[in-house]
Amino acid sequence: MIHKFIAVAATVGLVGVAAAVGAQDKPGSGKDPQLGRAFRVPYRLTDTNHFLVRVRINGKGPFNFLVDSGAPALYVATETAAKIGIAPPEKGFWTPIDSLEIEGGARLEKVKGRVEDPFQLVGMNALGLPGASIDGILGFTILARFKLDIDLTRDRMTWTRLDFAPPDPPVPTDEDRKNPPAEMQLMNALGPVAKGLAFLIGKQPEEQVAARGFLGLEWDEAGDAKAVRIVRVLPESPAAAAGVAVGDTLVRIDGKPVGGLRSAREALAGLRQGRAVELVVRRGDEEKTLKATAGEGL
Amino acid sequence: MHDERPSKPRMLRTLLVLTAAALAGASLWLGPAPAEEAGSKATATARFTMLPSNHMVLRAMLNGKGPYRLIFDLGAPITLLSNKAAEGSGTVDANAPKSFLFSMRGEAEVAKLQVGSLTAEKLPVVVFDHPALGVLSQVLGEPIDGIIGFTFFARYRTTIDYQKDEMTFTPVDFSVRDLMKDLPDRIAGPKVARQRVLAPGGLWGLRLGAAEPDGKGVRVASVVPDSPAALAGLAAGDVLTAVDERWTASVEDVYAAASGVEPGREAPVAVLREGKEQTLTVRPADGA
Repeated sequence: MIHKFIAVAATVGLVGVAAAVGAQDKPGSGKDPQLGRAFRVPYRLTDTNHFLVRVRINGKGPFNFLVDSGAPALYVATETAAKIGIAPPEKGFWTPIDSLEIEGGARLEKVKGRVEDPFQLVGMNALGLPGASIDGILGFTILARFKLDIDLTRDRMTWTRLDFAPPDPPVPTDEDRKNPPAEMQLMNALGPVAKGLAFLIGKQPEEQVAARGFLGLEWDEAGDAKAVRIVRVLPESPAAAAGVAVGDTLVRIDGKPVGGLRSAREALAGLRQGRAVELVVRRGDEEKTLKATAGEGL
Repeated sequence: MHDERPSKPRMLRTLLVLTAAALAGASLWLGPAPAEEAGSKATATARFTMLPSNHMVLRAMLNGKGPYRLIFDLGAPITLLSNKAAEGSGTVDANAPKSFLFSMRGEAEVAKLQVGSLTAEKLPVVVFDHPALGVLSQVLGEPIDGIIGFTFFARYRTTIDYQKDEMTFTPVDFSVRDLMKDLPDRIAGPKVARQRVLAPGGLWGLRLGAAEPDGKGVRVASVVPDSPAALAGLAAGDVLTAVDERWTASVEDVYAAASGVEPGREAPVAVLREGKEQTLTVRPADGA
């Protein structure tokens, strides 16, 4: 029966495999200097409610990897593996990985990964569901080395390195890998099903991001009226070219009244590079309408 | 989804929901769902056990029945209950119709889920017999009744300590998107890329060049004299490799990192200059 189980693990790549069978990975002889350290790990929440973190493998990347305690090990998609320059071994199941860096500073040396395309990744990527490509999965053998602290109201997780080396999952036999139980074959069919659906109805495009444009002015907030006053105009900046002067008070940005720093920031938050913006300023007793073209930079 | 013989559009929707649900469970998926605690901000604790398959299992009471064994899965976007557990706990009516695949019953709600010292209320779950759970139960010789996923733990600041086999849950104010509604609509909807502008939190005073080809960083094209970037010691030609401890492999990455740095806060900036790594500190000004 354990074979059936392992076969499932192999095909799904997710249903974990037995620690009981796996060999215990001894922590390295010298103490890892990262033990006990807390790392702030930036993450992205996908449209499918998955956590993606960025990793570099053997110095290559960054790649988007799924944080998945339901996966037993580290999975590297075949396309990702090709970019890194690693391949499944001719014999055996695991591919040795020299270094795995996780954005935020955590670094693991000499870990094992499985080069494979779990059907969920194939399916989600085919439909473009997450809104970003997923290049692999961080599963138990990686996650268990950390105490994980996850709070969706913050933009980073905290991962604290534990002095704990999780066991490898056992390796399924070739026979089990080739003949998964019928239930799992059905699940595995979902990858192709999703690809078929994508062919019929199209793939969701990835989100497009653009950089905000640059004006080159500094401001502060003065008085109870929350007037936003220009305190500095950077030389040769778009703001300088438009004629903005120190001491001007911002009255309106593109027609939107400015009542405090927050509204000024919000009014400019969507300004793209190369776009024009109309600034109405009060200078002494008069109001002036100035036109600036947002430049490149930050 | 409650028709035994759905009409064509309903079939399509069912298929979409099913595909979405199945794919969304990029991990183990199978599982019941816990509910949320109203009001209290106290931290609750739950012990988990590890299965031989390296999955975390929580024992949960569903609507006062149980305990049920649920896998806790960070990679599962939904909370899932087997038909048996859903019926036994009164989450779904035993006579409710099942769909043609995985005996899917669709969405339901657990009124009360208790795990450790935590009680969660009104937890949305999806009821179906996940094949992986079935196989797992068979191998283990004891039932695994479902999967606890995102819809549960997103309600809390969640910590997981594999060394102590312990989780903690502290309620936070986060509204959980209804994936089971959104996703099928999106799959069937127009294929238009969403657009987002990344606005830096403050004014830095630098212009970026191109990203380095190896993904290592982004070159600084120029620095405005006397700007916060200049005061920090940044210079044209420096390669930004991390801003505020976020990797900057692309120009977009720099803007994304800068969007998280509020004016006046000091942010570490790692640069490569003449092949040497150094870290500078930039304090962006308030401005644009």
